[in-house]
Amino acid sequence: MHRIERDRTRFREIVRGRLRKDLRKYLSSTELLGRRGDKAVSIPIPQIELPRFRFGDNSKQGVGQGPGEEGEAVEGDAQEGEGAGSAGDQAGNHILEVDVDLKELAEMLGEELQLPNIEPRGDRQLSTEGGKYTGIRQTGPKSLRHFRRTYDRALRRVIASGEWDPRNPQVIPIHDDERIRNRKSVSKPESSAVIFHIMDVSGSMGREQKDVVRIKAFWIDTWLRSQYDNLEVVYIVHDAVARIVDQETFFHLRESGGTKISSAYELFLDQILEKYRAEEWNIYPFHYSDGDNWSARDTERCVGLLRDEILPRVNQFCYGQVKSAYGSGQFKKDLDGALGSMECLITAAVDDREGVPDAIRAFLGGGA
Amino acid sequence: MVRTEPLPPYLRQQNLEIEEIARSAGLDFFQVIFELLDARDVNALAAYTGFPVRYPSWRFGMEFERLDKGYSWGLSKIYELVINNDPTYAYLVRSNSPMEQKLVMAHVYGHADFFKNNIWFQPTERQMVSAMAANGTRVRRYIDTYGQEEVEKFLDMALALDDLIDPYMPLKEFRKSKGPRRKPVTPLERARISLDATIGVSQVEEASTEDEGGEIVATDLLGFLAKEADLAEWQRDILQIVRSEAYYFAPQRMTKIINEGWASFWHSRIMTRSLLGASDVVDFADCHSGATANQPGQLNPYKLGIELFRYAEEKGMDLFRLRAIHNDVSFIDAVVDEEFARRSNLFLYHRNSRTGRMEIADRDWRPIKAQLLTSLTGGGIPQIELVDANHDGRGELLLKHQFDGRELQLDQAGETLKQVSMIWKRPCHLLTQAEGCPLRLTTDGVTVSRVETEEEGEQEGEAADDRIAG
Repeated sequence: MHRIERDRTRFREIVRGRLRKDLRKYLSSTELLGRRGDKAVSIPIPQIELPRFRFGDNSKQGVGQGPGEEGEAVEGDAQEGEGAGSAGDQAGNHILEVDVDLKELAEMLGEELQLPNIEPRGDRQLSTEGGKYTGIRQTGPKSLRHFRRTYDRALRRVIASGEWDPRNPQVIPIHDDERIRNRKSVSKPESSAVIFHIMDVSGSMGREQKDVVRIKAFWIDTWLRSQYDNLEVVYIVHDAVARIVDQETFFHLRESGGTKISSAYELFLDQILEKYRAEEWNIYPFHYSDGDNWSARDTERCVGLLRDEILPRVNQFCYGQVKSAYGSGQFKKDLDGALGSMECLITAAVDDREGVPDAIRAFLGGGA
Repeated sequence: MVRTEPLPPYLRQQNLEIEEIARSAGLDFFQVIFELLDARDVNALAAYTGFPVRYPSWRFGMEFERLDKGYSWGLSKIYELVINNDPTYAYLVRSNSPMEQKLVMAHVYGHADFFKNNIWFQPTERQMVSAMAANGTRVRRYIDTYGQEEVEKFLDMALALDDLIDPYMPLKEFRKSKGPRRKPVTPLERARISLDATIGVSQVEEASTEDEGGEIVATDLLGFLAKEADLAEWQRDILQIVRSEAYYFAPQRMTKIINEGWASFWHSRIMTRSLLGASDVVDFADCHSGATANQPGQLNPYKLGIELFRYAEEKGMDLFRLRAIHNDVSFIDAVVDEEFARRSNLFLYHRNSRTGRMEIADRDWRPIKAQLLTSLTGGGIPQIELVDANHDGRGELLLKHQFDGRELQLDQAGETLKQVSMIWKRPCHLLTQAEGCPLRLTTDGVTVSRVETEEEGEQEGEAADDRIAG
């Protein structure tokens, strides 16, 4: 088998080479969204084929077999059945699904955008839930009984009490002899991070704007996942009010209504005060909006929240402003004006899909 | 290597029984060696087109990936693999049911008989398993010497051209050489001849150039390049390897329908007349009808083939003679008539240019037959000929596509022509037709240009000249 594995490995190398070459294309397309499993992304690539002299699909006729009157449509799709001859050894123009490890994809992304690795801040540790059955104790479920130790105790007892009979070497453990395995939970340092994707879903955010957000969110997740063992993602949407939603909703929701950005910031703040405390988590909020806030007063409130409560607690706050036909884009200007000097606030304007790579670089390029 | 194992006792017993039935029915074959494999291994073997010992290439890896995914998603499954070789190797998949194994073995004996007796297979290398192994070893050695990238690049170029052979030539040569060819006397001589055959020099190449007074066999472009192009020896050898393997596979492409038809005819006959236990009947019907089912609107070579043989038998034709002398084209030409077309529900379809969908155009047997023959001629691939090896006195190659109404995929053709040009190291031209106009593709190996021509490429058309960056 190893021979085919070698050829397969070679093929995968070639695929990766292509992927690396075309990564820019994927960086601004929705093609990969929803193709991510826990560990790998399945990427559709056109089957790599050697060029050949072959007939085009303009061969206008062929022979088929089956019932039907003249003039009736041929059942199924006969386009590939261009005569019996095509049943040769040439595969059609298949799309091949290639699984690429998430780590590897992130690595490509890092190379392409020259992203620095992130240094987790502080010595935040989480004790993991897992553990090993390395301890021993005297009570516990029978299913965890340590046979050798239990027998050992019983044997000692029998010998010590003088009941040992070499001709009838019977050892019967009693309750006191029993030794039960005990689980010791291991606390190992593990950096964990939480991403908040906060999206403005007010009436002015159209389909294209949401696609830009989706693409950006996908790559940001991919990158951060490669940097942290333990990554959680929280999705918040807001118009005039904010709420937490699941991924599916986040990407498909279409709301209309006003925009009150402070509502989202308040909800987010609640989360990091209660559930994802800054002492334990690396926190990465990403806020996407077209920058058209309801009122200047609300913007002021946002600035205040950011400055006093949010920025001190997060690794980095990223605000991505997606250009839309309706948005004024005022919010970014306001943020830059009031908080431009804060290092952990990053703002970026994205005009369209093509701008996604630059925005990602702006967000993740600092290595914070 | 792929792990195979000999048959377990009950299959061995069954095999003996089937072999006996096949022989007494008149089938004639080299010794058939069955081996049992896991489905995954059979996919690997199929990716190597049946030979576990081929040269390394990412293409086999890709094919394996495709088969393996298809298998694990339950979309496709390979029942059997038969290798044209003496002895004939056949692989059974372990996961087949006992009934399927019987059916497959019976089917294999049909193929084995066909390989041995069909005239188009007479010139094929019967020691192909070792020939392929020898080719693989040489390519691996080149990789060690010249580097993976370098060799792979050239191999891919050569493989893009492996259709460019003359599938009719080996038989012509074989017939010619049959009479006067003396038997090799010493073991050394025998070894040399079989080595030549391995490399693919002796019969095919030398003959190709010499017998028509130094003229080139126009469709054996691969042979021409291997002989005439300015190449390093290892590159020349790789062209020879690709070419000899292409000649080995060519008859299989030319006899898809008749070969599968013959094997299906026999598995069906052997099973239904002799082997089928009552408990197998439903399974058999299921499996057999699965293999011979019609994809709506498409031709299934198993189904068409078996129907042709059954019809021929009904008409009192000599089936054994049919299987000995025909390829798909001549077989269909000999058997298909009005009654057959009607009974087998054949139809001609065409694309409705208004709706864009495929529609049944005709039930008349004559155009149906004509279309069948056209589409099968040359194994269903475009016929490309070398017209001039010194075009315009500049040493450029002029190729011509034998236009039969079916147009080439032009960007593919341009890319392929580039490969020719890169091997030939000079510009190359291809004459063809597109949208009713004669057309000439020209490439220097980097860019491809298309020029509409008025007369067979004599004049440079002033019209379109869109350059495509390579």
